Amino acid sequence: MATIHPETEIVPYLRGELSADERARVVAHLEGCAQCRATADASSAMLSNLASVIDDVRDPDWRTYRAELRRKLRDAGESRGRVSARWPVFGWPSMAMGAAAVAVLAIAIVMHRGAASAPAPEVDQLELQQELSSTDVGLLANYHVVEHLDLLENYDVIEHLDELGPGDNRNHETSS
Amino acid sequence: MEPSDEELCKRIAARDADAFELMVDRHQARAYRLASSILGNEADARDVSQDAFIRLYESAGGFDGRSRFSTWFYRILVNLCIDHQRRNRWWRRLAPLKTPGGDDPDEHAFDPPSSEAGPEGEAMLKQSIRRLRPALDKLSPQQRAAVLLQTQEGFTSREIGEVLKCSEATARVHVHRGIAQLRKLLQND
Repeated sequence: MATIHPETEIVPYLRGELSADERARVVAHLEGCAQCRATADASSAMLSNLASVIDDVRDPDWRTYRAELRRKLRDAGESRGRVSARWPVFGWPSMAMGAAAVAVLAIAIVMHRGAASAPAPEVDQLELQQELSSTDVGLLANYHVVEHLDLLENYDVIEHLDELGPGDNRNHETSS
Repeated sequence: MEPSDEELCKRIAARDADAFELMVDRHQARAYRLASSILGNEADARDVSQDAFIRLYESAGGFDGRSRFSTWFYRILVNLCIDHQRRNRWWRRLAPLKTPGGDDPDEHAFDPPSSEAGPEGEAMLKQSIRRLRPALDKLSPQQRAAVLLQTQEGFTSREIGEVLKCSEATARVHVHRGIAQLRKLLQND
């Protein structure tokens, strides 16, 4: 039977975010799992250290900060004013020309596709699939890693998938 | 009685300059410090937090009051920080982050924090922050933002989800992975 460690609930547990039911479940798990107890202790220390990072930031001179902000705000307003002032003169003709160009381009693409699609040979999908599956796709060796990635946030890992070792397993389930 | 953030936001939408000044005064320190923690660079933090206030001024009318003002505003700020980091990603690879205190990029020095634990405790705290800062820079932008919103702003997982436009469960995953990654980086250090 597989034991699911409540890893993502440990920090919310430490911060008192969990509902009574969730909390009871985490507490019960921690009582029987030394690994998660160690994680909880280490996470608690890490949270404490992280809280002091912000205390270490030096404040700027706020008067200068606000003066810069006012200037930026004024520049942004002026720049918007310039753009909006131009619209009545150049806006609609430019938009109309742009729309016309897009329409011409769209017609050209449709016509090109029509001409190209006629002589296209039929592809045996099954054959193609078999051919693909027999190909050595190196990245699939690390598919278990890919499964646990958020594509947007882990682009660093994705970029270096080929550098992962065979033992770099991120599956958090263990057998008990 | 002090007006609430939500009331100020309505007045800013009506282009009330005094309300904007008051709002900036109220949030400038937190916004700047959070941006500084996420970006690891005080000059960038200054620019980006100021840009966030400009966005606030321009889009105050878009605040619908369904979430807390702070959640709405920090969403603007964190998005600007993440965009800023993505834009500067290629440059950051060539030139390691500089933090105040020296020209050596490996020396992430800060001014000593005030501490009641005496010189020894102060030195230990300084040392742990010195190691933590570059480790934070290695997290993904979402992980870093999630961890810092939780530890520095006291946001709940649900609020972090609102800021990062993801579910509460995903926010918890971001925090968990961020903390785990930091522990791993510091162990290997």
